[in-house]
Amino acid sequence: MAASSSSAFLSSRDESEQQLPPPPANKRRRNQAGNPNPDAEVIALSPKTLMATNRFVCEVCNKGFQREQNLQLHRRGHNLPWKLRQKSTKEVKRKVYLCPEPSCVHHDPSRALGDLTGIKKHYSRKHGEKKYKCEKCSKKYAVNSDWKAHSKTCGTREYRCDCGTLFSRRDSFITHRAFCDALAQESARNLNPPSIGSHLLGLSQQDHMNQGALSSHDILRLGRPSPQYETLVSPGEFRPSPRPSLLHPNHDHDHQNQPPHNSMFPNKSSLQGLMHLPQLHMNNTSPNSSTGLFNLSFFPGNTNNTASTMDGVPHHSAAGEDSTLFSSGNLMSIAIPSLYSTSHGMQSPGGAQMSATALLQKAAQMGTSTSNNAGASSSLLKSFGKSPDHHSFGDGSIYNGGSGGGGNHLQDLMNSIAAAGVSPAASMFEQAEYRGFHGGNSNGLSSLEQAGRLTRDFLGVGEIVRSVREQQQQSGMDHHGKETQPFGGGSFR
Amino acid sequence: MFQEDGSSSVTSSPLQNFPMTLLSPAPTAAHPWLKELKPEERGLYLIHLLLNCSSLVAAGNLESANIALDQISGLASPQGDTMQRIAAYFSEALADRILRSWPGVYKAFNSTRVPAAAAEEIAIRRMFFELLPFMKVASVISNQAIVEAMEGEKMVHLIDLNAAQPAQWCALIQDLSARPEGPPHLRITAVHHRREVLDQMAHALSDTAENLDIPFQFNPIVVDTKVEKLDFEKLRVKTGEALAVISVMHLHTLLACEDDPRGGLSSSNDSGSSSPLSSPHSPGVESFLNAIWGLSPKLLVVTEHESDHNGRYLMERLGESLHFYAALFDCMESTLPRVSLERQRMEKMVLGEEIKNIIACEGTERRERHEKLEKWSQRLEVAGFAGVPLSYYAMLQAKRLLQGYKCDGYKIRDENGSAVVCWQDRPIYSVSAWRFRR
Repeated sequence: MAASSSSAFLSSRDESEQQLPPPPANKRRRNQAGNPNPDAEVIALSPKTLMATNRFVCEVCNKGFQREQNLQLHRRGHNLPWKLRQKSTKEVKRKVYLCPEPSCVHHDPSRALGDLTGIKKHYSRKHGEKKYKCEKCSKKYAVNSDWKAHSKTCGTREYRCDCGTLFSRRDSFITHRAFCDALAQESARNLNPPSIGSHLLGLSQQDHMNQGALSSHDILRLGRPSPQYETLVSPGEFRPSPRPSLLHPNHDHDHQNQPPHNSMFPNKSSLQGLMHLPQLHMNNTSPNSSTGLFNLSFFPGNTNNTASTMDGVPHHSAAGEDSTLFSSGNLMSIAIPSLYSTSHGMQSPGGAQMSATALLQKAAQMGTSTSNNAGASSSLLKSFGKSPDHHSFGDGSIYNGGSGGGGNHLQDLMNSIAAAGVSPAASMFEQAEYRGFHGGNSNGLSSLEQAGRLTRDFLGVGEIVRSVREQQQQSGMDHHGKETQPFGGGSFR
Repeated sequence: MFQEDGSSSVTSSPLQNFPMTLLSPAPTAAHPWLKELKPEERGLYLIHLLLNCSSLVAAGNLESANIALDQISGLASPQGDTMQRIAAYFSEALADRILRSWPGVYKAFNSTRVPAAAAEEIAIRRMFFELLPFMKVASVISNQAIVEAMEGEKMVHLIDLNAAQPAQWCALIQDLSARPEGPPHLRITAVHHRREVLDQMAHALSDTAENLDIPFQFNPIVVDTKVEKLDFEKLRVKTGEALAVISVMHLHTLLACEDDPRGGLSSSNDSGSSSPLSSPHSPGVESFLNAIWGLSPKLLVVTEHESDHNGRYLMERLGESLHFYAALFDCMESTLPRVSLERQRMEKMVLGEEIKNIIACEGTERRERHEKLEKWSQRLEVAGFAGVPLSYYAMLQAKRLLQGYKCDGYKIRDENGSAVVCWQDRPIYSVSAWRFRR
């Protein structure tokens, strides 16, 4: 095992990147790792033999040696006959070794490794137990030399990103930094969503695509983890990387008939990804309707399928198109609608719109703030606010009528809501829930107050009614009527 | 008394007006005060009406529930703001539930219904998959988990228990073809109840594999697992191949079993129950998981709704599902404009159907029995699976994907090695990976 030849084969870790054909037999060339000389002698050792550290044992003192030469030299000390094998002058037959692990690539003779030390290390690394652990980081190694080599460099060279993350490896640092940059620049670029939208709008025109280059690159960039990301800033330098295709615009699905504008190519593929929206039934929407987030007239025929929808022709049975649309399988197609959301999003008729989640939380808070300790009949809202209490909703008997604690809170609520200036309205109690009640108008009560009252204690509605009547009697309003039926307690007449 | 006031609201019901208007529902003449309600107030009022109505329904007080529903319908609308839409679908679910207590009426009412064209439903679901990132994130994460688990494997067999979106597998095929050691021989077995979906998938995947020159086989299985049990023989798992099983929104359907008439599960609390679960044990899912374990899969990826919609009592489910679907409706609101018909269709066909199933159905019909990840983890561990933490790179890809949506409502977090995707603070879906353990 000449040292010179071992290094080349040591590099054959597990898989070899290139698959070159073996060179002609008569030339004594160094082969690619894992692609041995075809007429070399193949040696298959058992795992035990392979891993045996000291194969050559002195018969006198049982001392083991890794090399036969060393054993021979040792035997001289015992005054035993020794023979040092000289390197023979005749052409030495090349030996290649097989990995004993059957599932390994190098188990096959055509992929044998040429060096014994190499195969030993390979076997340890791939199929062996990792016994050596770096102290600084937690990386484990099976081969001693690997471990030593790592310990030397571990922690010595560090890369720090602006965001504070520390890296010991250059490649992971670059990957992170590309991504990190994306974050930084995205936040800087989040000024003009409509502009991005307009770029998408102008897809059909080449010139628009030109203008849209940068923003499409942004979109493109979002999905790119590769270190080559940094070069993508300028259009036209689009280098596909062998990264997972999920983040990879599908440039291999070129369905377009458009002139292959090189610098625009990445845009197209990313936009193709962007345009991977299913065919929609456009039956009910006119092409000119401004409703059209999904009005695909925005997205011209960059895919062969969308061409017809661009005319606003309704598409029935999108089954066929769907499959081709999704055959490119780009899961990273960005949701264009979200771009629109910033401009069209909250279409509130007037004033700020609370999200449903916020409304629910508010309702829950209003429920929990009630001091109704009605025992089994805790108010719906009270339980709604917390995790639902199983036992309170046994069956039937929810309406036990609350205790009389709610009155004060009602008063508070009414005051606060009156302050909010809701205009008085006809009592909804009378007309809506409490059909049994004749309506007088409750002058002082606004609709929300009544809603508030309802929120107070839904279950103990009888109590509400009672307290309402008290209130009304206090404020001199019309009597609600004798009907004391709680909301849910019985049938209304 | 009722007639006097009630008639005014019943006969001049606002219901007729609503389908005509695309804007927020017009207030009715009978309830002038409704005009005064600001959207927030209306939203709060709707919440309370919903809670009230459902407690009435749970109590069996159908007449009062009817009145509550009437009021809700005066305010709710599938074209309105978020809360109005939620209220519309929940009240529909409650009405469905009420109607089921009269089986004759229910059946007659539904007897002439024409089911939606399969193609439309498929298209709408695909749109939902594309539009909201949740399912995509799950795909990205599970694909990465698969690629990592199958490193070095030459024969890979993938079983998709609820195969709906070819996009996920197309991407996986591309990932596998880009491996340094070259692509494996790939076999995908897809289970779905619609033949059309599987046909589409077969085309899409075969094309992709052919373009990339990957040895590929596709094995479709048409079976409605809600109706009949999946025959594991059909899966044709061979020895020597590395098996990955993917379950997207599927496991929870197996929890459907006969409930007791009061709306609870037929739980066996005695010591004979072998499973030390905090929830009543469900034989269906247990036997299914055991069968999967019997295949000794290298990887099992489970994606489920991260919310407990399997409570015994209606009110529990209502509370939880209100919060959950409110988050999803909010998400839709910030993604699509209100006038979008597609949004309405998605809300109706995807979300509305789930809501209806959770609220209106019981027993074996109630298939949307979502449960939280910790319960699933318990079940999976009992069945002999060990959790595989999701890798840093998988989470990274997921985060990038979410950022690409340019909407800061989407969040993802790592929970003990599993991923939970959230809208604002509300967990929506969870993705977890498991492996066969002896």
